[in-house]
Order: sequence, then structure tokens, then C-alpha cells
Amino acid sequence: MRRITKISAVLSAGLFSLAATACTSDGGDTASEGENSDFKACMVSDSGGFDDKSFNETSLAGQDAAEEDLGIETATVESAGDSEYANNIAQLVEQGCDHITTVGFLLGDATLASAQENTDLSYAIVDFAYADDQGNNTAPDNLKGLTYATDQPAFLAGYLAAGMTESDKVGTLGGQNIPTVTIFMEGFRRGVDQYNQDNGTKVQVLGWNGKSGSFTDDFEDKTKAQAIGEQLIGQGADIIMPVAGPSGLGALQAAKDAGVKGIWVDSDGYESTEFGDILLTSVVKGMDVSVEQAITDSVNDEYDNEIYLGTLENEGVGLADYHDFEDQVPDELKDKIDELRQQIIDGELTTS
Amino acid sequence: MKLEIRGLTKRFGDFVANDHIDLTIEPGEIHCLLGENGAGKSTLMNMLYGLLDPSEGEVLIDEVPRSFATPGDAIAAGIGMVHQHFMLVPVFTVAENVMLGDESVRGGVFLNRGQATERVRALSQQYGLKVDPEALVEHLPVGVQQRVEIIKALSHNAKVLILDEPTAVLTPQEIEELMQIMRELRDQGTSIIFITHKLREVKAVGDRISVIRRGRVVGTADPSTSEAELAEMMVGRSVKLVVDKEPSTRRDTVLQVEHLTVTDPRGHQVVKDIGFEVRAGEVLGVAGVQGNGQTELVKALIGLIRPDTGVISLDGNDISGHGPRRSLEAGVGYIPEDRSHDGNVGSFSVRENLILDLYRDDRFARGMALRLDDIATNAQERIEEFDIRTESDQTPVSALSGGNQQKVVVAREFSRPLKLLVASQPTRGVDVGSIEFIHRRIIAERDRGTAVVIVSTELDEIYALSDRIAVMYDGRIVGTVTPDIPREQIGLLMAGATDTGEERV
Amino acid sequence: MSSLRMTAGWWASAKVTLAAFAIALLIGAVLIAFSDEDVVETLPNLFTYPGDFFVAAADAIGSSYWAMLKGSLGSWHAIASTLERSAPLICAGLGVTFAFRAGLFNIGAQGQMTIAALIGGYVAFAWQLPAGLHLLCALVACLIGGALWGGVAGVLKAQAGAHEVITTIMLNYVAASVLLYALSKDAFQRPGSDNALSPQPLDTARFPSIGGVHLGVLLALLAAVLVWWVLDRSTLGFELRAVGANPNAARTAGMSTTVVYTVAMVIAGALAGLAAAMNVLGEGNALSPTLVGSIGFDAITVALLGRASPVGTVLAGLLFGAMSVGGVAMQASVGTPKELTAVIQALIVLFVAAPTFVKALMRFKDQGGGTTLLAKGWGA
Repeated sequence: MRRITKISAVLSAGLFSLAATACTSDGGDTASEGENSDFKACMVSDSGGFDDKSFNETSLAGQDAAEEDLGIETATVESAGDSEYANNIAQLVEQGCDHITTVGFLLGDATLASAQENTDLSYAIVDFAYADDQGNNTAPDNLKGLTYATDQPAFLAGYLAAGMTESDKVGTLGGQNIPTVTIFMEGFRRGVDQYNQDNGTKVQVLGWNGKSGSFTDDFEDKTKAQAIGEQLIGQGADIIMPVAGPSGLGALQAAKDAGVKGIWVDSDGYESTEFGDILLTSVVKGMDVSVEQAITDSVNDEYDNEIYLGTLENEGVGLADYHDFEDQVPDELKDKIDELRQQIIDGELTTS
Repeated sequence: MKLEIRGLTKRFGDFVANDHIDLTIEPGEIHCLLGENGAGKSTLMNMLYGLLDPSEGEVLIDEVPRSFATPGDAIAAGIGMVHQHFMLVPVFTVAENVMLGDESVRGGVFLNRGQATERVRALSQQYGLKVDPEALVEHLPVGVQQRVEIIKALSHNAKVLILDEPTAVLTPQEIEELMQIMRELRDQGTSIIFITHKLREVKAVGDRISVIRRGRVVGTADPSTSEAELAEMMVGRSVKLVVDKEPSTRRDTVLQVEHLTVTDPRGHQVVKDIGFEVRAGEVLGVAGVQGNGQTELVKALIGLIRPDTGVISLDGNDISGHGPRRSLEAGVGYIPEDRSHDGNVGSFSVRENLILDLYRDDRFARGMALRLDDIATNAQERIEEFDIRTESDQTPVSALSGGNQQKVVVAREFSRPLKLLVASQPTRGVDVGSIEFIHRRIIAERDRGTAVVIVSTELDEIYALSDRIAVMYDGRIVGTVTPDIPREQIGLLMAGATDTGEERV
Repeated sequence: MSSLRMTAGWWASAKVTLAAFAIALLIGAVLIAFSDEDVVETLPNLFTYPGDFFVAAADAIGSSYWAMLKGSLGSWHAIASTLERSAPLICAGLGVTFAFRAGLFNIGAQGQMTIAALIGGYVAFAWQLPAGLHLLCALVACLIGGALWGGVAGVLKAQAGAHEVITTIMLNYVAASVLLYALSKDAFQRPGSDNALSPQPLDTARFPSIGGVHLGVLLALLAAVLVWWVLDRSTLGFELRAVGANPNAARTAGMSTTVVYTVAMVIAGALAGLAAAMNVLGEGNALSPTLVGSIGFDAITVALLGRASPVGTVLAGLLFGAMSVGGVAMQASVGTPKELTAVIQALIVLFVAAPTFVKALMRFKDQGGGTTLLAKGWGA
């Protein structure tokens, strides 16, 4: 299915740009011929591809922004399976890339191998860090892990959801029972707990109990998330937060069909999905920001292998605007969430 | 309507399938086209029916030259064809099959089934073609399905009806009924082109006979011509129609069948408590109308079906539960009734088919490795010995004519020592020349001391080969006789009783 | 056995394949041109400056295909990558081919590879054995894993008459879930991590490499020779092909279709297992939910393109491997989307499956090469 969509995308993109250029005859180059045009930043996706409306896509947005802002060259390669990673990275090395960003923990081994082999290049890997049992960074000097404390904004989202629910039931579902997914769900659950404590309510979280929950076991198949979403809604949830990449769009569809609300993750779903009108907010994982920052550091020869952790404090993660629900969220709830945000930043409140 | 063919020629590359054929079909005659398999009869008819483009020549209808690009054109010109393999939709009713292709429609969208049913009824009455328009085709016997094909052609107002080997699939009774229908059609003004290679049939029903050999019309005869003369015209040399054989010298019992009962997959008991014996050097013919349990009897003998009860003992050992492989290894040879279904692997070469059940033999395999040289040598020997006409031993067997395909089966089964030979319809769809050859080989095998069981629905064949004849009816052997008794008497036994008035539909 | 027939049919079908390849590249070229920004920019002035358009199009097409060629065959490193990428495709393709010759449409290479990788991968990362012996054990574990999964479908077909297309597809799902489940357990996860990712195979269990190519590639080619020998030269292959072409005649000739179906699927599964070994023991990939990628499905395409012959499968596997590696280079250097590679591959198969169309297009004389095989798979 995915292939077909992509093929038709290629075709329709061709036709569309044909029409577009017909209207605006004068395009003209932007800042692509900048002072850093001899620097090349490159990126390898995992098997989700760069059109996943999720972390591959957001990461690429960071590289695209760097291209724009710094006037560097870029290249990208999409992967179809695990056996392609090593060759795809090697291919980019061969293309003369100076900085290579890989997306996702699955590329961890291949990225490390390439970084050890090509010490004159810099590497960054999204959503992964090299650490030993004590949590010490084991990455080589030219490889930076980019990680995100998404539990922090997810906590706020949980608090918000608990404050907004009318059925006293909210739901979440994941793409797979892996840390980068469950960290959202756990933060969300704890936010709901916090609300219950503060207000003496009994809002329930469906789909995640701290250990196990509802998973699609698939990041691409929307029908699976839709089925689980319908199930959660059937059990009474009136706000659901899918953490399943593009698959999660199915859950938003289920929410829209049932007239309930949703919370998106990774990017601001108000802009990246077509379900903006039912989204209370989004738990934003600022992969674009950190990817661009890593590239900038590399361009400026300020590269280090310190693990990057995106937090509310450094705005590497955050809660998106309420958009259409701006007027419906009570002011005291908004204030409370702002207060909690500050508490988390000050370290007075732990979210995981 | 008068149909005239002038100088019609068809070439496939260098090969000339039809060479300047001239034929005239007068209105209201049954014109027989006699020829061996591969003589070019079907090519000729396919050109006439718009399925092949002629390389040369023309077709005239009532003195007007016509050309047919598609069967549709031919049908519109009044030509109808009943193919050897029926073109019917099994899950449709007779009426639906007849209306197929020119569905009459009521109110713009609704199929007018009633009208089609009426039409079938009318045609069936007019020509004495007994058939129920509402019956599902898949439930009909082959003979009746053929009538549906004829009605289909007639419903398109066919004035010339081509019947391509129509008797190949029929029982003797059905053949008799078909001939009756053909005469009725002729008497009402329809011309019939009757394609066959069976001499008895052309003599019985034909008004005129054209003989085709190697793509040419080699002569025209009338029905009074003797079978031997016709055969000679057809094959191009004199043919012995009767197998010379010495009386059998019966020796020890090889096959002893007792209380054999077989149930088919649908749960019907099709072989009912049968017992018989066959001795070395003897041919037992099993006669009967198709579908009276012969197929299952044969499959049980060879081990393809496990019988419910009963004993099949070969030289005193019960082989009834052994399965085909051990039966073959015990010395049973088998010529199945449907060679392309059970006898050969069509896409395999002649060479491979000649060892299809011998590949494990030490002659052809060393451990797991096939002995390719020995397999090739064997193929050359068998091809020569059995006069198999093939381009090479590497040709896929499906490219051979029916007779030669059958010879491949026969050659294979005769290339190992046999105790028992079971041959089912050994010459069905085989041309005269090959029939003669296969019959001689079977008798030779008998004379070598093999016990032989021949199952055939063709009485000629039963008479030609058998030393004793067992007649099967409804799963039982209703009588065992010697070949000196008259045909009529066996016919009565085949019908199951002395009551001959009953008609089977 | 059938060398004469093979040579006659061989050239006819090779011609169709080559023509299909050419047409696919041509269509691919059009797609490249119209998805290239520089080309699209010239379109508004197509009639005033048609030259611009053709220069830009030629440049886009030329640089894309050149990148593909160079990336797949242009250097020793490129060739090494192509060989390594082709090896699992060839092995899994041979599995599909082998079953196909027995009349079985094996859609299950994906699942067979998955289970093989799971078992073989475990042996490779969890067992501590001396080099050589460790590799042997891990390799055998891969073969057994694949054979087991293939054998399940074979037994179901032979004993219960369950259609292998259905069972192998279902077994693919089961295998994927089994892998996912295993990867959620500590025994299969990296110590100290909850990610669905196993430790890497130990070096003692890896195929040695020479000049940047792991020796598993040789094993893949050896497997192709073996499959050819078994199919064409052995009694087993004779039975297999007979059952595949006409099970009734095979049964009548004393062959056991149940044995043949089971053996065919066991061997087909083992070949898929060998493909998994290429991934795990050759490239050294750790187990993950996406380990197999789409190799098991691409294998079906490879086998069909190779016309279910071992030689054809090897050639088709090499072609697909080269296109896959070259497609990455094309994407990395010129930015041509990698979907284009998929489109070209799909078109090749499409045209090979419709030989009449290609013949009509290329005005070949109809000699009926290789049509039946592709059309026959289903319904058998």
C-alpha cells in the first residue's frame, strides 16, 4: 500500500508542480548558495520513510531548515529494511557528506560502526543514545545521541485531558511496547494521576497501566490504530492520544467519527494532520530543532558527543497550542498547566 | 444452403496444415470428414469457423465468396460448430447456456429467461433433441451436454453444423442416439460436417465421405465403401483391422479378486462385491457402459483407491492396500483411461515421460542422481520400438498427437517385466494406425505370459482382444462370456437386463 | 534433462525479459524527467525554448541512471554491496522457485525468514562457541528455523489439503508476531534496554569476509547450483516437477504427493532460512521487527522474474540487488526518489507477466516463451 501511495505521490507531485510553475513563472533560487555550500548534511530514515508525518518527517524538517538557514548542501536516503542501513550510511559517506543524521534506534549499530570508521565526519542519531548500564555515554567523539524527555509534555497533556474529559475516561495507545513510545503513555498517565490527586477526581486512563496496554504493533497500518481507537472510545474514553506514528492517524479518524477529541504526538498535529479541529493539543517532540542544532554545531566546529536531552526547559519538547480549543479550556486549567510546567523545569516535579 | 470450399490452404511457418482443399457440402447431407489425428481436419474446420485465417483459397456460401474474421461472422453466415471440448458454463442451466452471447432482454435490463426456455423447448421438439431447459449443465451426462451444444448452434439458425469428433466422448448408446439426431437434422434440411476417424460411424451415418490425409483431400467415397478400403485411404497403407491372435494358452492364476467393494468420494458404493480371476497369458475384457464402476475397479486394482472390503491378490499376495508404488513394483502395468490426466505429464519431454514410473529403477538412477545417458538411450530405443512420431525425445509430450501420446504410455508400461497389465480404454482417441499397433503389442504381452485386463466401452475393442469378457453393470459383473457370443447379447447385458425399451438420459 | 527445450525457450524468454527491462527503464525515464524540478521549470516555455526542456530532461535522466549504474557496479565497493544485497534475495527466491516447481505457490518466504532469523539470531548472539563451530551452529539453526516454518505449510497442504497460499500468508503474520513477542522478552533484548532490538550476532558466528564481501554470498550461489542439480538431475527433482506439473499422473506413477509437498516446503523453507542467515550472519544485523524488511516478498518477484529456474532466479536476484543498491546511490547523489526503483522493478515484472503485450510492443514473433508458468501459479 505504502509503495503505491508514494508512487502516486511522485506522479501527482510532478503534475502539481507542473501546474504550479505554470502560474508563477518566476521561481528563483533562495539562499542555497550560502557561505557553507561546501558543507553537506545527510540523513537516513528508518523503514518508516520521510513521509511518516512523524519522527522521520520531523527530523528531516530540521535538516531542511539547516539547509535554508546555513546555506548547506543536503542529501537523504530512505531505508526499506534493516539490512539496508549499513549500506545506506556508507552510500552517504561516499557522496561526501560531512554530517550524517540517522533516525531511530534501529540504526544504532550501523551508525556506530560508520562513526568509528569515519572519524572525520560527525554523526547524530535521533531518539537514541549510547550508554552503558550506569547511563554513562559510550559514544565516540563524533557521534551525538539525541533524546527527548517527552514524558514532561505528555504529563501536561495528561493533566489537560483529565481536566477536559466529560466521561472521566481518557485513552492512549502505542505503536509498539518500546521505551520511546511508552514514555509518552507513562507521562500521560502520571499527568492524569496528578489531576486526580489535585482535584479528588477519578479520571481513568484506558490503554496503558504503567506496564502494559494497547499496542498496534505496527507504525504504518492505520486500520489497526483505528480499531483500537474505536475500542477505547467504546469503553467510554472521550479523549485519546495515539503514540503510533502515522498509524495513529487511524485513531484520530476513529475519534473524529465518534465526535470525541484527540491529542497528537511528535509534531503539532494541528498543522501536520487533517484532524486539527478535534485536537486539544499535541505533545511536541522537537526533533527538528535538535537535528538542526547538531548540524549547526558541526558546521561551526563546535561538535561534541554529549547526549542531547530535549526538555521543557530547553524547549526540545513542549506542549503545542490549544488552537481551536483555546476558548474551551478553562483559564484556571491553563494556569495550572503553566504552573506545572514551571515546576517540572525547576525540578520540583518528576514525571517519570 | 450450399457450402463450397475452394483451394483452402493454411500454412504455419514452413508447415502446410491444409493444402488446397476443395470440398462441397450440399444442402441436407451428412458429409463425413475422415482422417487420422493430425491430418488437418480441425485446422480446416477452424478456418471455416473464423478461428484461423486461411493462407489461401476461399469459402463460398450459395455461390457467394465469404470470409470470416471471427466465429461471430461464421455464425451469422449460418455455420454452427460443436467442439470436441464443450464450451458450456457448468453452473448455468441449459436455457441460460443457449442464450449466452445473445441474451434477449426484457425491459432493458432483465434477462428474458422464459423466452430462452421456450426456444430450447421448441428446438428440442422439432429435432427430437431431448433435454430439460431448466436443468443445470453440470448435472447432465456428456451425451446430453452435447445436445445442448447442438441446440445452441441451431438457436443461431445454423444451416451447416460442424461436429468435431462428437463421438469420442460418448457411450455406444449415446452414439446411436446422436446418429439418430443427425439423421433428423439432415431430413429437416440442415447440412452436417461430421469429423471423425471411426470407420464404423461414417459408414453408419454418412451420405458422402471425404478422406483427409496429411492436409490434403485424398479421395471421396460413399458409405458402401468397405472399412478396409476407407482405412487404407486414411492411413495411406493397408491396415489390418482384426488382430491376429492365437487362442490363449491359459496358465496359472495371476490375479484373483474376491468380494471387492469400493465407495467413491461422494459416498456411493460403485463397485459391489466383485470377484473374478485372470490367468497368465489370458486377456479378460471388461465391457460396460461408462460409469458402471469400471473406473473405480481399475483404480482399486492399481492401488489408487483403497477398497472397503475384498481381496486383490497378485500371485497369492494381497495388494489391495499397497498403494500404486508398491503395486507397480510388484509387476502391475497400467494404461489409464485418460492419458493426459493420469498417464503423462504434459509439460515433460517424451524422454521423461518414458521413465515416469521407472525413474527409481537402478537402470535410470544411481542413488539420488538420474542416469541421464541411460534415460536418453532408453528413450531412443522406445521411440524406435514403438514407432512414436515425435520431433525429438525432448519434445514436450503434450505436443504429440493423441495416438503418439498413448504410445508413450504403452511403451513405458511395456518396458519392464509385467505380471499383470491393466489397460483402461487403451485406444480412446487414437487413430487407426496406432490402434492396430497398440492392439498387437497387448496381444504380444499376453503371449509372453502376462495376465491382461482390458476395460473398454468400445465393443469392437473388447471383441478384438478378449479371451473372456466380463460385463459390468451398476458396479457388478452381470455375466462372463466368451467372445463368440453375438454383440446383441452383450449389449443386453450391458444394459443391465433384458428390458431394452428403457432409454437413458 | 530438458536441455534442448530449455535452450529454445530460454532465448525467447530472455528476449522478453530484456525488452521488459528496456520498456520499464524508458517509463522510469519519463517519471524521472517529470519529477525533476529543473525539468519542470522548463515546461512553461516548452514551446518557445523546447531545447531547454530536452537538455534538462536528458540531464536528469542521464545523471539518475548513471548514479544508479555507478552506485551498483561502478566500484569494487559498489559491487560488494550489490552482491551482499542480492544474496538474501537469491536464497529466498530459490525457496519460492523450488516450491513453485512442485506446484506450490510459496508466499511464506517472509515468515520462514523471520523464524529462521529468530532462531539463528539467538544462537548467534546468545551462545558462546569457538569461531567456526559457532557459525556452523547458527547457520544450521537458521536452516532449521526456515525448514520448520515451511514444513508447517507443507504438512498442512499434504495432510489436510489446506491451500498453501492461505497458510503461508497466515504463517507470515504468525511469524511476525512471534518475533515481536520474543523481542519484548529480556532474553532477546539488549541488556539494560527495553527496545525491541536484540544484541548483535557475535563475531564468532559471522561469515568471514574477503575484500568486503562476506562469504555467505558464495553459499548463496552454491545453493543455486544445488537447487539446479536437485531439480534437474535428481530423482527427487523428477518427482517434484512431476507432482508440480500433473499431480494425477504423478500419483498414478507411484509418487507420493504428500511426501513431495512436505519435502518441497521443508527445503523451500530451509532456503529462506539461508536468506535469513545472509542478513544475520552475513551482514551481522541484530534482530528487530523490521529485520527482514520486504525481502521475503521481493523473493516472489525475483522467482517469477527468474521464471522459476535456478539460473533465472540468480540473475533476477542480482538485478534486483543491483537496482536496490543503485537506487540508494541515485537517491543520495541526485535526489531521485527511491520509489522510482520500486516502480521500475514493478514494471519489469508487470511486462514479464504480460509477454504478449511486450511482444506486440517490440514486434517479436510469437513463440510462446514462458507464459504459462507465470499464469499457472494460482489455482494449482
